[in-house]
Amino acid sequence: MNWDLFAVACLAGAANWAFRALPILARTDRIATAGWLERFLAATGPAAIATLFVASILPALTPDILRLLPVITGTVTVLATYFARRSVVAATLAGALVHGVTVWLFA
Amino acid sequence: MSVTKPHFSDGLLASLPIVMGYLPIAFSFGVAATRAGFSVIDAFALSLIIYAGASQFLALALLASGAPVLVAAFTLIAMNLRHLLYGPALMREAGSKATRRHAWAWAWGLTDEVFGQALGALARGQPFSERYMFGLGLGAYAAWVLGTVVGALVGGGALDAWPALAAGLGFLLPALFLALLLSISSRRQLPVIGIAGAATVAGTLALSSTSGILLGMLAGALTGLSRR
Repeated sequence: MNWDLFAVACLAGAANWAFRALPILARTDRIATAGWLERFLAATGPAAIATLFVASILPALTPDILRLLPVITGTVTVLATYFARRSVVAATLAGALVHGVTVWLFA
Repeated sequence: MSVTKPHFSDGLLASLPIVMGYLPIAFSFGVAATRAGFSVIDAFALSLIIYAGASQFLALALLASGAPVLVAAFTLIAMNLRHLLYGPALMREAGSKATRRHAWAWAWGLTDEVFGQALGALARGQPFSERYMFGLGLGAYAAWVLGTVVGALVGGGALDAWPALAAGLGFLLPALFLALLLSISSRRQLPVIGIAGAATVAGTLALSSTSGILLGMLAGALTGLSRR
């Protein structure tokens, strides 16, 4: 066991738990049921998910059309499946499947 | 008409796309840990105790380069500041009657993906339940720890023979985030989503991917704040 690593893990893990749990336990969402905090929290969810999508897709974007093709087909499949089925699980799995198949066909 | 609260098993089922996305990433982390000279136990401990993908990869880089313990710890802590916003945003959507008696336990599993999946379910009208949160969080957590251990045991090159499979698995998380974004989007939130996306690109290109994520979330949330 690497004890430096263990110490870093314990400090970072304790902070992670505090960041995730304490704001819920402290009921910070109830501090203001209307007003600026309400608007801030309402926008945080969509902002966070939009951010995580952009951050995860950004490294895959490239001017090389052959390498970009699986990203395009996968993304279009997610959009099409979601609008057809309104299912997050189906859209996610279909997008990943078509992405993989495109790589298999064109790589 | 009352709507039945989702069960633990519903949460486990909803964690399936996250599980499939986490396994290959955690596997890669296990491989990277052993390649950086750490043991299987070390890799397992990092995933079990920190449970935050990007900061675990950074931990390997920092410790392998000999960074002091406190410097490494505070760098990792700063990376995960965004998690402060997830709990309040989730509970706001859950409503004032939502119980949080066991939040000290299930909130540990509130990663980016679990938060997104839970928020998406609430936005689609599913009632909040702590049992569902336990199922959702436990599925994802188990996949993360399991993937790490398998990666550390097997070592690199296991997926090299199947590049299409590796690529498909690698696309699961972007696909999940896009589907979640579609499920919670409304015309009112479009400016928030647009500004968050643009700020993420700008922050990532100008500074780093971690800065891009923090800037994107803050810019989007502040856009919501400015709208009445």
